[in-house]
Amino acid sequence: MIRLDADRSVEFCDGFRRRDFLHAGSLSTLGLGLGQFLGLKAHGAVDKSKDMNCIMLMLVGGPSQLDTWDMKPNAPVEIRGPYKPMKTNVPGIEISENFPRMAKHADKYAIVRSMYHTAAAVHDTGHQMMQTGRLFQGGVEHPHIGCVLGKLRGPKGDVPPHVLLPRPIGNTGGNMPHGQSAGFLGKTFDPFVLNADPADPNFRVPDMLPPDYLTALRVDRRRNWREMVDKTVNKFETSQDARLLDSTFHQAYTLMSSEKAREAFELHREDEKVREKYGMNRFGQSCLLARRMIEAGVRFVTINMFETVFDEITWDIHGSKPFSPISCYKDLVGPMFDMAYSSLLEELQQRGLLENTMIVAFGEFGRTPKVNPAGGRDHWPQCWSILMAGGGVKGGQAVGASDDIGAAPKDRPCTPGEVAATIYHSLGINLETELPGAQGRPIPIVDRGVQPIRELFS
Amino acid sequence: MRYSISVLFFAASLAAQPGLQVLPEVVELSTPESRQQLLAETFAGGFHEDATKAVTWSSSQPKVATVNAAGFVTPVSDGEATITASGNGLTASAKVRVKGMGQPFTWSFKNHVNPVLTKMGCNQGACHGAQAGKNGFKLTLRGYDPEVDYDTLTRASLGRRIAMADPPASLLLQKATFGIPHGGGLRFKKDSLEYRVIAEWIAAGAPRPMASDAAVTGLEVYPRTAILKPAQEHQVVVRARYSDGRVEDVTRWAKFSSNNEGAALVDDYGKVKMTGSGEAAISVWFSSRIVYTRMVSPYPHEVSEADYRKFERRNFVDDHALAKWKSLRLAPSAGATDAAFLRRAYLDAAGILPSAEEVEQFLADKSADKRQRMIDALLRREEFADYWAYKWSDLMLVSSRRLQSNTMWAFYNWIRDSVKANKPWDKFARDIFTSSGNTRTNGALNYFFLHKDPIDLTENVTQAFLGQRLTCARCHNHPLEKWTQTQYYQLANLFARVGIKSNSADPNDVVVFAKTTGDVNHPRLLRPLPPAPLDGEPLDLESTEDRRLHFANWLTSPKNPYFARNIVNRVWGNFMGRGLVDPIDDVREANAASNEELFAALVKDFVEHGYDIQHLIRTVMNSGVYQLSSDANATNQYDGVYYSKYIVKRLPGEVILDAMSQVTGVATAFPNYPAGTRALQLPDTQVVSRFLTVFGRPNRVICDASERSSDPSIAQALHAINGDTLNKKLSAADGAVSLFLKLGLSDSRILEHLFLSAYSRYPNEQERAASLGALRQSREVKGTASQVLDARRQAIEDMLWAMLTSKEFLFNY
Repeated sequence: MIRLDADRSVEFCDGFRRRDFLHAGSLSTLGLGLGQFLGLKAHGAVDKSKDMNCIMLMLVGGPSQLDTWDMKPNAPVEIRGPYKPMKTNVPGIEISENFPRMAKHADKYAIVRSMYHTAAAVHDTGHQMMQTGRLFQGGVEHPHIGCVLGKLRGPKGDVPPHVLLPRPIGNTGGNMPHGQSAGFLGKTFDPFVLNADPADPNFRVPDMLPPDYLTALRVDRRRNWREMVDKTVNKFETSQDARLLDSTFHQAYTLMSSEKAREAFELHREDEKVREKYGMNRFGQSCLLARRMIEAGVRFVTINMFETVFDEITWDIHGSKPFSPISCYKDLVGPMFDMAYSSLLEELQQRGLLENTMIVAFGEFGRTPKVNPAGGRDHWPQCWSILMAGGGVKGGQAVGASDDIGAAPKDRPCTPGEVAATIYHSLGINLETELPGAQGRPIPIVDRGVQPIRELFS
Repeated sequence: MRYSISVLFFAASLAAQPGLQVLPEVVELSTPESRQQLLAETFAGGFHEDATKAVTWSSSQPKVATVNAAGFVTPVSDGEATITASGNGLTASAKVRVKGMGQPFTWSFKNHVNPVLTKMGCNQGACHGAQAGKNGFKLTLRGYDPEVDYDTLTRASLGRRIAMADPPASLLLQKATFGIPHGGGLRFKKDSLEYRVIAEWIAAGAPRPMASDAAVTGLEVYPRTAILKPAQEHQVVVRARYSDGRVEDVTRWAKFSSNNEGAALVDDYGKVKMTGSGEAAISVWFSSRIVYTRMVSPYPHEVSEADYRKFERRNFVDDHALAKWKSLRLAPSAGATDAAFLRRAYLDAAGILPSAEEVEQFLADKSADKRQRMIDALLRREEFADYWAYKWSDLMLVSSRRLQSNTMWAFYNWIRDSVKANKPWDKFARDIFTSSGNTRTNGALNYFFLHKDPIDLTENVTQAFLGQRLTCARCHNHPLEKWTQTQYYQLANLFARVGIKSNSADPNDVVVFAKTTGDVNHPRLLRPLPPAPLDGEPLDLESTEDRRLHFANWLTSPKNPYFARNIVNRVWGNFMGRGLVDPIDDVREANAASNEELFAALVKDFVEHGYDIQHLIRTVMNSGVYQLSSDANATNQYDGVYYSKYIVKRLPGEVILDAMSQVTGVATAFPNYPAGTRALQLPDTQVVSRFLTVFGRPNRVICDASERSSDPSIAQALHAINGDTLNKKLSAADGAVSLFLKLGLSDSRILEHLFLSAYSRYPNEQERAASLGALRQSREVKGTASQVLDARRQAIEDMLWAMLTSKEFLFNY
């Protein structure tokens, strides 16, 4: 256990210093967090030679391939849309003019231009498939990739293995799960959800430390007594929610007693200039927070760029209310992504973290090649583009290609299952790994035979 | 191998009424193309088995109908025949009548060609059924509009898709057979029945769909249910009934899916394979109709009849639950103790804990009907009305987000008064949809202020009162359900004539009235459609009848399949921890119930009792099922679906907060509300409360059960440990802890009181010893009298904190 020496010490009324509290607290949590996961490592499911991370940027709403990273300047105007392509720092690769900073970093990321899926063209199905690799059928709710990682590797240090920023995806119209939970693995492996806006000037993780009127001794005593009281009743053993409650208390105490963990959430420690570089908005600050999370030992960070597609400006450009107009790619959503994504790439590289941290950025589907009468584009799961960087991915390349109008993959069609396999591969997880499903039925992390997109790693 | 297994069954079952059955037992083949797959099914030792391929099939009149070794019947000439299956000395038969063999036959677009295209996936959402079609060829999703599809196939694209003179040259057939490149690959082969249907239809001149074409009126599935051994397979046969009286085997064109792949898988041909223990509803979709068959593989438990006899039957709910447990070989848990049941009933029905005094009285009461009397008394309490008014306010989205303070109160008070008066649920809905006037005096009308336009109304109404989600159909046909965009805008047009007049000088002065003009346009057709409820009778566009009244009549009609199911499921789920269909607000046809017989019986009883919510609540609470212990036995540890034990659930955030207030004797202060207001008495979810936000209070922005969360989270734990809410209640100068000290109670007496008020039970000896020991130890403080007193107080606070954050307190069990 790390001996913590807080740089600020706050006096408690009983003479204890906060630093002492931290030490006392960490002593009492000693060994409780990691032990349960060590057994899993022994199963050989985890490649110990690597310690890889991943940041998943979920571009809720579904970016238009034709207005972002797969421009078709030679197509008729009703196909190519209002935006022009722009050269990047990699010869032969062009992206939309809406992403000028990204154009300077094209050597760091690869574009997959031949994504498709065959499920219903609603947001929810795409969210499921992109975050878990599968469509939910037959009552099986598959786990988010980050939750699988959390299950297989457990936490690193005092921070949770999988953090979701800033909030879960809410209503996107389909009344289906979005694939953002641990599914059949059980809620214990759900991500730690921030549920706060990191761009808020008063942003902090609430209730991280005891109030001044509560001494460290009492916090510890309460904890012990709670365990004593709880122990006499064993009727909750079969309840998943009850087990989850225990685990949340345990994780709360771990967070409280770790200076390092708490600091990871303190965005005000960042230089104003750095914060502004990411964009002073929810998504930008979430990306900055993600970098801090990875530095503190979080293995997987999921960022939802938006929570819904209704009455909010998002990637979901149907062109009519309550959805978004195509112009928002130029005015709002495009610049927001451009700043945050570019800054994340820059900073992770500067800090030497890009090698062991994969950054994936994708929506749940693409958009209709033909601009609709409202001047927007509708859902189009038949073809879209995604971005992958870091974690062994060779940047500066386009993998796969779409046809002349971005309507269907022309070369190397790629599925959400293959994307999941790609992420697992980068994380060093054997694709043969099986997880315990309902009634102990083993369920492989990806469908048998699904392979990573190997071209990305050459 | 399969044969030898069935031989064993035959042998074993000789003593216990052996059974061999042919399904379906009566067959009518009324066209030269009619066929029927028969099933031979044995039942022995409590298990069914598909013996179709193990038995020997024969026809009494091969000149009328033949049968092959797989039980497949083909007509030959008009007449009657008996088809017999025999094996191991057992026989069973089906009657087959053949007619119409001399009549000319042509394939119908609506009843044959379109189902072929649907089964082959041509018109699914990912292919030509996509909103934008595929490669310029667009079919309606799953063929819901045969007229449009017919024109697309025969007229558009210069008629190349169909070549009347040379059917094999038709683009449709060439693409589907991959004779020429096709993005969708090979759909069927040239020697297939699918090919022949389409080719012969074209050769016959591609007759168009006619209004006089027979329509599907229903589906039949065989077997209706089957109990199978692990890893067994069973074929499913589906027949469609048509409006002209015909019944046809459509197994080949139906689509199948399993709702529980952990129990059973089903392939494209309707063959089910059991994968584990439990029950799977196999849904069968054909021509926008859905039917289920239930495949059960009982758990490998030893359950005796005595285990079931121990279960105390109290009302009809129990009969249906018991039947389900027996079929799955689940034994119900023992009955809940009086203490556990008292606490459970108070929390589930009224969102409060019984007081320490109520607990002591109830436990001391020796009368046999004390539970029933307690339930009756509970339903009369004000807290009962608070709890359900809060719940219905969640549905109606009552909040100050868009309502002014006094109109919000008017709406809330109307809801609460309705609950208090036990207004029947159909009357509750009718009152909203049939009245006009000022929203301050008639609070129900604020519903129309909150859902101001026909689109909002359409979507909230269908969710709150029908448990259906229509949002997808706003822009296109619902990709997962049968609802079309046309139906959506027909429904929306029922709400086109709701007038809202606001007084510009006073935003609180709003009048809702029925207009006589106004329509909602269908966004693509750019014209209004005759207003109609879902699958209901349309009104004439010119009619001046109040459209809301037409809607209300349909909504609350006993024939409406969704209205009663929606509310029964919500009420059941409130008590039982899980809806009979799950999620609780999703009662669409394609979402199978975990116990359909129970669900149907509850709905029937509810309607027969005039939509009486309190009657429904009494029925649920007085059932033996609701009164089971949450402790698992050896068989039902993993059951979270069939109610063989009470499902442990975390309390709603509002209930936890109120219970903390109750036990600590310190009310929560809500800004701008009178002191002592409980969380469940708030009419508004905009009231600032960190505790309620963290513990999952819904925002009431969209009508969606998942707006409320009861999942434990780290944020909740941090708030319980470090937050101001509980900590300040414990240290308050005028709370329970202060009172204990002022009264000079002993540790032992204090502890007992805390157990009674927080856990609704006495501490057992072990708990008493451990807790008293802990308190005593912590008091071994040297110092001044006030230091000693402080130490004692802190110790009691800390013990109470430990209890109020424990699982036993935060959960209902």
